[in-house]
Amino acid sequence: MLLRAESIVKRFPGVTALKGVSFDLRPGEIHALCGENGAGKSTLIKLLSGIHPYGSYEGELFVGGRPARFHSIADAEAAGIAVICQELALVPEMTAAEHIFLGVEPKRRGLIDWPRVYRQARELLERFGLDIDPHVKAKDLGAGRRQLLEIVKALRKESKILILDEPTSALTETETEILLGILKDLRKRAALSGRGEHLPSEDCGPKAAALSGRGEHLPSEDCGPKAAAPPPGLSVGGTAREENGPRAVSCIYISHKLSEVFAVADRITVLRDGASVTTLDAARTDQREVIRHMVGRDIEDLFPRRASKPGQTLLRVSGLDVAASGKDEPFLKGVSFEARAGEVLGIGGLMGAGRTELLMHIFGAWGRRLAGSVELKGRPLKGRPEEAIRRGLALVCEDRRRYGLVLGQSIGFNLSLASISRMTRLGLVDRPAEEEANARFFSSLRIKAPGRQAAVAGLSGGNQQKVVLGKALMTEPSVIFLDEPTRGIDVGAKLEVYEFVNSLTEAGKAVVLVSSELPELMGMSDRILMLHEGEIAGEFSREEAAAENLLAAAMGHA
Amino acid sequence: MQAKRLLRDFSAVLALLLIGGVFAALSPEFLSPRNLSMLMIELSTTALLALGMFLVILPGHIDLSVGSGVGLIGGIASVLVFRHHWPAPAAMLLAAGVAVAVWTAMGSIVIKQKMPAFIITLGGLLVFKGLFWLVIRNATVPVSQGGTSNLYSLLTTYYLPPAAGLLLAAAAVAALAWQELRPAAGPERRRDGASGVRPARRPAAAQEGRDFELRFLGVFVSAQLLFLFVLVMNRFRGVPLPIVILAAAALAVVVLTEHTPFGRYLYAIGGNEEAAVLSGIPVDRVVISAFAVMGAVTAATGFLQTAYAGASTTTVGELMELDAVAACVIGGTSLKGGRGTALGVLFGALIMATLLNGMTLLAVSPEFKFIARGLVLSLAVWLDTRLNKA
Repeated sequence: MLLRAESIVKRFPGVTALKGVSFDLRPGEIHALCGENGAGKSTLIKLLSGIHPYGSYEGELFVGGRPARFHSIADAEAAGIAVICQELALVPEMTAAEHIFLGVEPKRRGLIDWPRVYRQARELLERFGLDIDPHVKAKDLGAGRRQLLEIVKALRKESKILILDEPTSALTETETEILLGILKDLRKRAALSGRGEHLPSEDCGPKAAALSGRGEHLPSEDCGPKAAAPPPGLSVGGTAREENGPRAVSCIYISHKLSEVFAVADRITVLRDGASVTTLDAARTDQREVIRHMVGRDIEDLFPRRASKPGQTLLRVSGLDVAASGKDEPFLKGVSFEARAGEVLGIGGLMGAGRTELLMHIFGAWGRRLAGSVELKGRPLKGRPEEAIRRGLALVCEDRRRYGLVLGQSIGFNLSLASISRMTRLGLVDRPAEEEANARFFSSLRIKAPGRQAAVAGLSGGNQQKVVLGKALMTEPSVIFLDEPTRGIDVGAKLEVYEFVNSLTEAGKAVVLVSSELPELMGMSDRILMLHEGEIAGEFSREEAAAENLLAAAMGHA
Repeated sequence: MQAKRLLRDFSAVLALLLIGGVFAALSPEFLSPRNLSMLMIELSTTALLALGMFLVILPGHIDLSVGSGVGLIGGIASVLVFRHHWPAPAAMLLAAGVAVAVWTAMGSIVIKQKMPAFIITLGGLLVFKGLFWLVIRNATVPVSQGGTSNLYSLLTTYYLPPAAGLLLAAAAVAALAWQELRPAAGPERRRDGASGVRPARRPAAAQEGRDFELRFLGVFVSAQLLFLFVLVMNRFRGVPLPIVILAAAALAVVVLTEHTPFGRYLYAIGGNEEAAVLSGIPVDRVVISAFAVMGAVTAATGFLQTAYAGASTTTVGELMELDAVAACVIGGTSLKGGRGTALGVLFGALIMATLLNGMTLLAVSPEFKFIARGLVLSLAVWLDTRLNKA
């Protein structure tokens, strides 16, 4: 066992976050952690990475068979554990190479040896098949590339345990594939070096097993050639024996996207309510079983869409050409569609196809209109978000922490923020009216929090999303734009969001749903538009919508 | 834990008591009605400007030009009165109009041209300083014609008659009691029900009883302090007019920040501007309005400060912007925006004013006054960050 956690209990004032979690990681495996938000995944990771120091929890951690007592993040890093976070901390003005060697810059006579930094960075990036120029600044890299850069950085740090927390939440599909490819490569390498462990050679076998992953400590003079044999395809530059040589790396992989989990994971451990429920062999289970363990019950229908009869057209978009502000080239080209009362219009497409931009533009928060018109309930709409909201349009953004919430404020503050101008008496906020409205949404959305005074920053993703939904709904919209409303939230909260969509359409509102997940798009939409490079590449009814058709349209092969 | 929270919530009060105690021990004169009366006049200018600064800092901006602005606006009014023989009210009205227009323009540049307020108002600091000296021609310009008094000079020389002071205090206490103790008062006090649906009536009854007692105690103590204050002031010349002006301004800022959509918007913009835009908040208009109010506050402070000096001289208002920022920060306002309260700012200003007043009384040399103020500011912010980590 490379890493083992034994009956870990972690208490916070008033709440027990982990109630006996046991977990083990084998050398070279990819082990997925699944569980709803609040199941204890983050807490477990904070323990493994030294953020919650030894002594603040009960139970024992073992690394390489020995008890591990991390008192700080540095201790965990020294033991070879690297965490790649959901939210990345990169310095926008620093180059890729600078990031990779941040804090461990090779020096010559006390000064940084820049040629060497860039040479080694280039080699590393090439070895992982990444098309990233070491000189490019972080701010010029897309979210996906940044994520990959962070992983390269962790691997450079001689980490043997890589913890990836929702690594693909900001990645395009291509980038996700590259990432999953790298992880599979790492596993392949582990398998090869694993052969080294089973060598009958007495003097290096056990050591290699104990230190598997720490290539530089292997007695490579004696049994190195076999133990550290570079797998094909990973030895670009032929530097296998250098300090950055391939090593066995094990991964703990956390993702809400079960399809990804099944694409890479060897084993899956499910956490529920702070306890480890079960560990499953990925090859011998399926998504349904994992979900059942996660929520503790069977979910018959993941997408409980109840179609209702479409009514009159509420939103009509015709021939929209929109350029990003400051540019003349249209980014959205000739977009026309209608959204009708009581229907869910799904909008799909690849990352960068213009889905978010389309919603944001109609809402009045993005781009410059070159041609075309938007009509909301029969009257033209062009203006700022305040006008859109007043006219009955609501937008729930994809990035709720950035665009949706004032994190330092309370749930109540956020819920009523967009509607507060309507709740006044003689220019002053009508507190009783505000409280009444807040209480109504707080309970109908079933937001799990100690009270409406709780800060939104402390809520789980699903509950934060409910606050954003509540804020949008309180403005009493007739058309609601939902941009990736279930991103990063757990299965149970997803179901609640879907139920909300149902109740909205039943109340005669039009819902426009943007989603990157095809099953969600197909499962929840009555009609689907696929965008491709700013143009509508196809429209599908619920019956016509098959994954292949949608994907073909998204790639422009309609 | 509990102690730490208490320490955090009352750190400003403790610091004030400590500073006051030291001065009282070192100089018997410190607690005399005469000195306290002067302290109140000095407080009113510092606090007034700080309240304006608070409205600009809340949405995440800053205004470094107000110190020069205080001199300039006060100077315009005194030049109109002394050299051009304008009636004081007209002169002050015009100067205030200029201030609001100029600050609205600065706010518009900050917002529309997306320039950092730090830079624009730093430019303002220098430009206003130069204009100020041009306007008064580097001379001393009294606020009234030789020896006579006008509205301008009365700003800091008028004291309420003792009876009026007591009457005002009584009115304030009555208003406070009505606000806090009337049966339907403060629905927000009952909004902490965990279910949030409707607060459970029965268990809440006891809670409400205790709440009422606490609130009653609060009103009682405030009333005593208020009357004590008026009585002390009356032993000198009565309640100074500036403190009444400050009280009115403070009330206005409290209502503005806590009871109007505008105030919500200030907090929301400072907390997350992008989310504010998408929540339909007219961010541009709100921030420009905050700067406009800052202009009006700068004008009011300019008149008070100039009147207190008796005349416009080249140093009026110097470094006042830093005192205002310091008062905000000491009072718990975050320079990143989105956090702070008007009451905290008042306390911060009281600490800064007390410090300066006490040191002047002890004849501390100007060198050490600067050093002490700088150290207190740094210490206060350090303490605030330490205690907020808990």
